[in-house]
Amino acid sequence: MLLVPCPNCGPRNSSDLHYVGEAQARPNPSEATPTEWREYLYMEDNPAGWLRENWYCRSGCRQFFTLERHTGSNEFRNPPMPGNKVGGKA
Amino acid sequence: MSASELGRLAAQSGEVIDRTSPIRFNWNGNSLTGFKGDTIASALMANGERIVSRSMKYHRPRGYMTADFWDPNGFVQVGDDPNVRSGHRLIEDGMTIEPQNVWPSLDRDIKAANGLVGRFLSAGFYYKTFIKPQKLWPAYERVLSTFAPGGKVDLDTPHRYHDKRYTHPDVVVAGGGPAGMAAAAAAAEVGANVLLVEHEHQLGGHLLWGSDADRAVAAELANRVSAAGVEVLTNTTLTGRYEDNWVGIVQRSHPLAVERLIKARAKILVVAPGLIERPYVFAGNDKPGVMLSGAVRRLVNMYGVKPGARAVVFTANAEGDAAAADLDRVGIDVARVVDARNGENVVSASGSSKSVKSVKLGDGSEVEADLLVTATGWTAPTSLLNMAGDRPVYDEGSARFYPSVTVDNVLSTGGISGDGSVDELVAHGEATGQLAAGRASVVKHRVQALTARSVPVAGPEPEWTADFRPELGRDDHPELFRSTTHGIVDFSEDVGSKDLVAAAKEGYDSVELLKRYTTATMGPAQGKLETVNTVAVLAEARGETIEQVGTTVWRPPYVPITLGGLAGRNFEPVRVSSIQPWHEANGVTPIIAGAWIRPEHYGNPADEVNNTRTNVGITDVTPLGKLDLQGPDVPKLLSQLYTNKWMKLPIGSVRYGLMCAEDGVVLDDGVTGRLGEEHYLMTTTSSGAASIWEWAENWLQTEHPEWQVHVTPVTTGYTSINVAGPKSRELVGRLVDDVDLSAEAFDYMRVRTGTVAGVENCIMWRIGFTGELSFELHVPSGYGLHVWETLMAEGADLGVKPFGLEAQRIMRLEKGHFIVGQDTDGLTQAPAVGMNALIKLDKEDFAGKAELAWAMESDQVPHVVAIQTVDPTIVPGEACQILKGTTNEIVGRITSSRMSPTLNRSVCLGQVDTAHAEAGTELTVLLRNGQRIKANVMSHHAHFDPEGERLRG
Amino acid sequence: MANAPTTFESPVVTDYSTRPTNASSDVTLTDESSTSKILIRAGSETAAAQQLGVPFGSARQSGTVLVSGQRPSEWLILGSAEETDAFVAALDLTGHVSVVDHTHSRALFKLSGVGSKGTLEKICGLDWDDAITPDGAVVSASVAKANCDIVRFDADEPGYLLACDRSFGQYLFDAILDAGDEFGINVG
Repeated sequence: MLLVPCPNCGPRNSSDLHYVGEAQARPNPSEATPTEWREYLYMEDNPAGWLRENWYCRSGCRQFFTLERHTGSNEFRNPPMPGNKVGGKA
Repeated sequence: MSASELGRLAAQSGEVIDRTSPIRFNWNGNSLTGFKGDTIASALMANGERIVSRSMKYHRPRGYMTADFWDPNGFVQVGDDPNVRSGHRLIEDGMTIEPQNVWPSLDRDIKAANGLVGRFLSAGFYYKTFIKPQKLWPAYERVLSTFAPGGKVDLDTPHRYHDKRYTHPDVVVAGGGPAGMAAAAAAAEVGANVLLVEHEHQLGGHLLWGSDADRAVAAELANRVSAAGVEVLTNTTLTGRYEDNWVGIVQRSHPLAVERLIKARAKILVVAPGLIERPYVFAGNDKPGVMLSGAVRRLVNMYGVKPGARAVVFTANAEGDAAAADLDRVGIDVARVVDARNGENVVSASGSSKSVKSVKLGDGSEVEADLLVTATGWTAPTSLLNMAGDRPVYDEGSARFYPSVTVDNVLSTGGISGDGSVDELVAHGEATGQLAAGRASVVKHRVQALTARSVPVAGPEPEWTADFRPELGRDDHPELFRSTTHGIVDFSEDVGSKDLVAAAKEGYDSVELLKRYTTATMGPAQGKLETVNTVAVLAEARGETIEQVGTTVWRPPYVPITLGGLAGRNFEPVRVSSIQPWHEANGVTPIIAGAWIRPEHYGNPADEVNNTRTNVGITDVTPLGKLDLQGPDVPKLLSQLYTNKWMKLPIGSVRYGLMCAEDGVVLDDGVTGRLGEEHYLMTTTSSGAASIWEWAENWLQTEHPEWQVHVTPVTTGYTSINVAGPKSRELVGRLVDDVDLSAEAFDYMRVRTGTVAGVENCIMWRIGFTGELSFELHVPSGYGLHVWETLMAEGADLGVKPFGLEAQRIMRLEKGHFIVGQDTDGLTQAPAVGMNALIKLDKEDFAGKAELAWAMESDQVPHVVAIQTVDPTIVPGEACQILKGTTNEIVGRITSSRMSPTLNRSVCLGQVDTAHAEAGTELTVLLRNGQRIKANVMSHHAHFDPEGERLRG
Repeated sequence: MANAPTTFESPVVTDYSTRPTNASSDVTLTDESSTSKILIRAGSETAAAQQLGVPFGSARQSGTVLVSGQRPSEWLILGSAEETDAFVAALDLTGHVSVVDHTHSRALFKLSGVGSKGTLEKICGLDWDDAITPDGAVVSASVAKANCDIVRFDADEPGYLLACDRSFGQYLFDAILDAGDEFGINVG
């Protein structure tokens, strides 16, 4: 089981966390075109490489944060400080 | 020569059996005796039993070949336990052991006729023969299933306890041979916390069946392991290595459980499984009496078992030479030693169905023998390394595969790393243990530095320990896979070298395809015995080298795991309210809703409805999600989550709201009340309690960290009781004296805090799902049962009765209230539920706003409408389709339906498309029995009291 | 008017008085659910956060109450009702500070004795090593699939305080007893 470096708790089993999704900025709902909005809702880049993604530490500190993970090696880098802004999608 | 040539030898210096402790067991209907420490295999052979099973496809008689865990011929039924590995399982007093896959008996198996038609059972036979016509498949299946191998599953087997445990050792060592023991001891001696896992019943590995000097080394290492404080688990298998060194371990030796599943997070994993001896492919290689050198040495030296009377030993290495010497030492006639290193070869073995009788050699000569021992090389079981990303590479010189890639936190030692003397293996193990301990301390430093709760670590992270271990050598070994004849390659799947060649010719000539097509390597041995031979035969067929063909990928598990072992202890959390003891004592019929156990009803839901509509009823709604909201920016959060407006909710008021996801789909609904200046209580649906809390946190933490709001779940902090019915005010009034309950002072959609039955800090609100005058009481849970019992006692003269979830569902349906997830689904956008007045697109932002704006513009969403059947006695089942007129075009479905005790007719909610949503539209409902009935769309969601006069009372 | 309640109703309702006591036991499970539990939420900029004075991941004793930093900017105060009330009364609640009485929301159990670590290892995947989870450490995790806030709280012997949602209380109590069976667990 993958170990996820929660910036608050430290390394935790991935089953302790909830994978929220790729980190994306939320478009302004009053200005976004349907295409932009649905791109935000449904489309993921899914790169083979480094990816910024949002996690929620459900069993631990209950904080949302963004981590950078390599999708090939599952290596994490740049654990951010708590309170970093991440996308609001769930 | 007869089977009685097998038997027990005089005591051997290295035997693990206790001849002073006889054990009686039952085999195939006969009572036999073995000794404590015997495996089923050694005990059977000591009793002269040569044939133990019939092969999977051809039902050929089979005897022991490896006489250990991997033996493909040794699967037996022990009591109600099928597929037991008899080369591994120890005998116990009174054990009942039966052969498997035989009919009618082991000696006389009718299905052996398969062998006569064997040429029709080539690779892919079943696929090709039974694929058509498809309608006959059930008939085929019935016949074929009687031919299926495996033991009998007894459905009445009592549940047995399987256990589970987690652990976080510094170093986990897989394999307790000389290198593994040395690694474990060396790591523990420098302070690492070490778990040593050994597949067999004793530590020692191949030293156990070696010389007395070998065993002395093993004993000394075992003492070191124990003195160093290593946790040792024997008869335990490390079954898989997963991400970040998460390893699965199945312990079969726990005193209190059948099996214990251990999930370990190893800082460093040391892989030291040793080597597994490879069979040789030639005609007759599956005859009883053809055995591998390791099997013979184990049987002779560890169990004092005589494996035959007259032997031919085919040897390509020192182990084969030692087997010949062992046989000679114990007085077994070694008729011929055939030395592969001098170019000598074995061509075929022949004999009766019970035993080998003669062996044909490469020089054309034939030697009479009832035992043919082969020592043709090893397979390195690199599975655990493969799971860490390694791809083994073939070495021609030593005729086996080696690991190629090193992973930082996985180290290998012992036979899979190379060859060496016992001293060299021990030295390599020690160096590996020290390296592992060094690296584990770096990992521990890192974990400790990152973990909030840990003891703080001083200083910078130590440097990663470099690998300076001396490399083990690679002994020359002839490449021996197949003789000049064809034989069995995969013994457990009955796949021969001929099948592989034929499959390659048919085009299945990639090793991964060949494997799946022929099922070679896919049986219970999982490739440990047959992978290299499979690859070698394919290479031969393709005219290529083994290196060019490559090998299959070994995936978890290392050995098959029982379902019980996988399940471990079963955790099924159950949630109950504080009133549960009362429900249970008062004839409740429970219903499981998620983890909650709730009252479904107390006998008759219709009576519960009638009593509530006539007198007063109380119901336990504790699972209703409750979130305590505090802070100056709560209205902003509410405006963001709900579709309607929240900036001006007065203190003491309650408002209903609808929540949508960002795709406009209805997520949840409920009411929120304002308790104080900056203090609110939100309710969610029972099933949404956890997710809406997360949803709120997500908005607060990610989009609006500047908002000052604290969201705290208090769902079960309050026992929630809805008191409903015309007499509810009178009943609640008997328990409350610090709140004015009159309609003027406490009207519909208001909230008050006060004391109920002497319990302070209760929250009461005037809402209700039932459509009756009702008070929802939220009582601090430590006194919930007290308040419930007081309501029952004080309301006796008012006719108070409890009602369950079913009565509540009937009453809400009579009132036309939809349930999120029942009347809506994962595609139902908010405009469907007929509350467009609550969707405030003029707000700057709220969850789902963009999609809702487009949905309302298009009006293409389905509509939730109230439906009544023309025939009032028919209640269409939920999910029945609604069709367009007399066609089969689906235009909607029934989402909720019940017989209404209040109206004495059937009432429904349903989803229909826009064209059928108008009040008065005639609908066709397709019942489950195929009948079409007429129904009408109603003008109001509420079938009963549409003006809501009762609930406002 | 109806009578006021006389006793706090624990979520653990099973009567264990007839359960055999194991004389050689080295682990005990005690129901402490009636303990007063006050949740304080206060941002790092507030005076209350300074007064609470213990970071996320650790707990400290303040007189007779236990102050547990169970999440960033979130503390749980445990003790008798009088003690916790007095503790909260002494806090400076200016700024964005919330106080929620969790006494009724959470079940609270104490698992103590030499076998407590072995018992926890069977139902929780966290590392209970002394360096990772020392005395005074605070951590939240799934225990037998129920989310718990846990404080390592040693007295003479190692011990742990486990708080879970009240509704899971009876289930968790029994799950811990089942796990502790091999250590001869007793009900305290």
